[in-house]
Amino acid sequence: MSAATWQRRRAGLRESAGEFASYRSGLVGAVLLVLVVLLALAAPPLVPRESLAVTQVTADRNEVPSLAHLLGTDSSGRDVLGMLLWGARASLLVGFAATAMSMVIGTVVGMAAGHFTGLTQGALMRVIDFFLVVPSLVLAIVLSTVLASGLWTIVIAIGVTSWASTARVVRAQTLTIESRAYIERSRALGAGDAHILGRHVLPAVMPLVLANTTLAVGAAIIAESTLAFLGLGDPTTYSWGSMLKRALDTGAATAGFWWQVLPPGIAIVLVVLCFTLVGRALESVLNPVLRSHR
Amino acid sequence: MSESATPPDEAAALEWRDVTVTYGARVRADADTARTVAVADLSLRVERGGTVGIAGESGCGKSTLVSTVLRLLPRSADVAGQVLLDGEDVGAMTWGRLRAVRWAEASIVFQGAMHALNPVRTVRHQVAEALELHLAKAYPTDAARSARVDELLALVDLPAAKAASYPHELSGGQKQRVMIAMALVCDPDVIIADEPTTALDVVVQAQVLEVLAGLVRERGLTLVMISHDLAVLAAVCERIVVMREGRIVEEGPSRRVLDAPEHPHTRELAAAFPVIGDPASRRPARAAGEPVLPTGDDAALLEVRDLVVDFRARGTTIRAVDHVSLACAPGEIVALVGQSGSGKTTLARAVLGLQQPTSGEVAYAGKPLPRRRAALTAYRRAVQFVLQDPSASLNPKHTVYDAVAEGLRIHKVADEEARVRQALTQAELTPPEAFFGAIPSELSGGQRQRVVIAGALALEPTFLVADEPVASLDASVRGEILDLLLRLNRELGLGALVITHDLGLAWNIADRVVVMHQGRIVENGTCEQVLLDPQHDYTKSLLAVVPSALEVRA
Repeated sequence: MSAATWQRRRAGLRESAGEFASYRSGLVGAVLLVLVVLLALAAPPLVPRESLAVTQVTADRNEVPSLAHLLGTDSSGRDVLGMLLWGARASLLVGFAATAMSMVIGTVVGMAAGHFTGLTQGALMRVIDFFLVVPSLVLAIVLSTVLASGLWTIVIAIGVTSWASTARVVRAQTLTIESRAYIERSRALGAGDAHILGRHVLPAVMPLVLANTTLAVGAAIIAESTLAFLGLGDPTTYSWGSMLKRALDTGAATAGFWWQVLPPGIAIVLVVLCFTLVGRALESVLNPVLRSHR
Repeated sequence: MSESATPPDEAAALEWRDVTVTYGARVRADADTARTVAVADLSLRVERGGTVGIAGESGCGKSTLVSTVLRLLPRSADVAGQVLLDGEDVGAMTWGRLRAVRWAEASIVFQGAMHALNPVRTVRHQVAEALELHLAKAYPTDAARSARVDELLALVDLPAAKAASYPHELSGGQKQRVMIAMALVCDPDVIIADEPTTALDVVVQAQVLEVLAGLVRERGLTLVMISHDLAVLAAVCERIVVMREGRIVEEGPSRRVLDAPEHPHTRELAAAFPVIGDPASRRPARAAGEPVLPTGDDAALLEVRDLVVDFRARGTTIRAVDHVSLACAPGEIVALVGQSGSGKTTLARAVLGLQQPTSGEVAYAGKPLPRRRAALTAYRRAVQFVLQDPSASLNPKHTVYDAVAEGLRIHKVADEEARVRQALTQAELTPPEAFFGAIPSELSGGQRQRVVIAGALALEPTFLVADEPVASLDASVRGEILDLLLRLNRELGLGALVITHDLGLAWNIADRVVVMHQGRIVENGTCEQVLLDPQHDYTKSLLAVVPSALEVRA
């Protein structure tokens, strides 16, 4: 890779960044997200894990929000704000990891389904169709009951069930790229599948995948909350979904202890909204066709 | 130029008065703040019933000029001066008036009929749409509109039955004729045809030109036609205007412009479309009489033996290449000519190993090609491909260096940089370092084709397969690229199989001409033999419709 190439890429990146900054909603989403990530990273020193242990708590059960406990306490007397911060770690981790997994599977399968023809393509397309029509929640529930319970089980359950739509998008893009004349030239130069996929197709589908990623993170966080809420998560970790489940189990939701229900709910909505805003802005920056329709 | 003595009541059908069109910086990628001048202070008058052809290279402002007539330019364009349509200033029209004028008084036949028709509507529906929009009163019922559509199609020599077809069921020439029929819907006085025949092959081109010329003759239309081919314009128009960089450089009766061009640029344009049989435009790689390297079956470098390629489409089998045998000697330039759809591109793809033959074989240096793709590696170094459209055959994201080095990387060749440097120099892109970092969109069409050629040369091939290598290039660039191919042939002994529908190109450079028709080779011989003394009827009919052979309109 020559120096000129890097220079141009840097310039392109700077231009894209400037373009992104012109989307106010995207910028707001990005700033909020950075804030949430920083808070999640800072959770251990801010709220030591021991202080959330049921045996260590000093506060009363179901305390109303006060200066000592800004968001009150839950049915075991634990600080809701502390649990919210710890929950952010789990939610974001699952969101990112599951999305990464789903994007990698989706991109690889999608490119292969677009590139190869005949039997390979037919087989891959049927696999994609299968994952597209199977209700992903049901499949995720089955997977997380079969596998040992834990955070990574949830990651796998979400990752394995959510890649199919990415694969279809990537396949469509692959098909348009492969019909270009420069692919024909490449083949005539003697290029094999790996060369064409790696040097021509992958760079062309990456912007699409990236924009898709930010949108998928939100969906993954919701899926994690849903699974945790259904009791399929790891009982030893805090997540926003498990907080909601506990609030329901202990009757907090019906007893009017709103501070146990609203914070995790609003946190989910907020983070998903941020990812959607960033995703939309990124999509517009990377896809010039959308840009003109702003 | 406009005749200022004309009294105002006898307005010309169409007149440009000191028109200047500039484009804002937005149209140019390289944030150049200066506005680009597309048309510079141009005046032109087209009399009622007159036919004027506007010639020029791409970027000379000819399309911009005619777009001013119906105010079709993008918002970034700025028009100064007056455009008078039947004495009325187009620039001063209200939107409502402009809508009424568009189509009813002046209509445009766009280039690229393939893309200007809606693929999901029948021809009848699309032609009737204009009737519905503009002439709802005159043709109030579906039946009346249908009858009118049939009438219009008859005008352009299409049977009424074709109205029920969708665009993809029609050939390129038929689609172009539908476009002309659509332009005639409201019986306009002025028709503007923007490169109406550019994407069509010679036979179809002749048919479309015949339709246009007939309409002008019978209906007294005023026609303004754009083309880069002087001979095409001369076949339909009385007067030819040659444009360059937004200005008129030459203007006069067609025959005079074609036969005795005064401006050097006109001569350049004329030279790009050689007259077959004219020794001046023939520039073979070797002096006449000098023997081509020995021909004959045993000496053939590249050989096609009884090749058949079938395509299966919706249950039927289409035979694209039908028992073709062909031999190319080392260092020989062979032109494969034929209409579009004759199977010549399929043959080329089979020769390159990109298309699996149904039966028969391709042999290189006496050895048949292996069928497995992996085993073709050595062959692919020796035989290289140059595609038709250089802007499409380069990855827009790759730099020139990456594009030229691609083959070297695939074949894991050492001292990559030195080879790229050498290939670019051979392709006359000097100094090579200046081009390393450029991306295709920063280059001109001719430079892009040179990059494609350099990419092929980097692997030091012995043979080149070129599919319409100059079809999408401008007249002056065309000559340069052909010179380059000939020089490479002379200096490196690089043989070439040039696929083209342009017999003039074959006359320009080929040692041998092979004529293909409906998948078969109908004639094969030296350039002079085939083009000057054709034996087969099909070759004769091809030669009869070459624009330079068409009758010039007096």
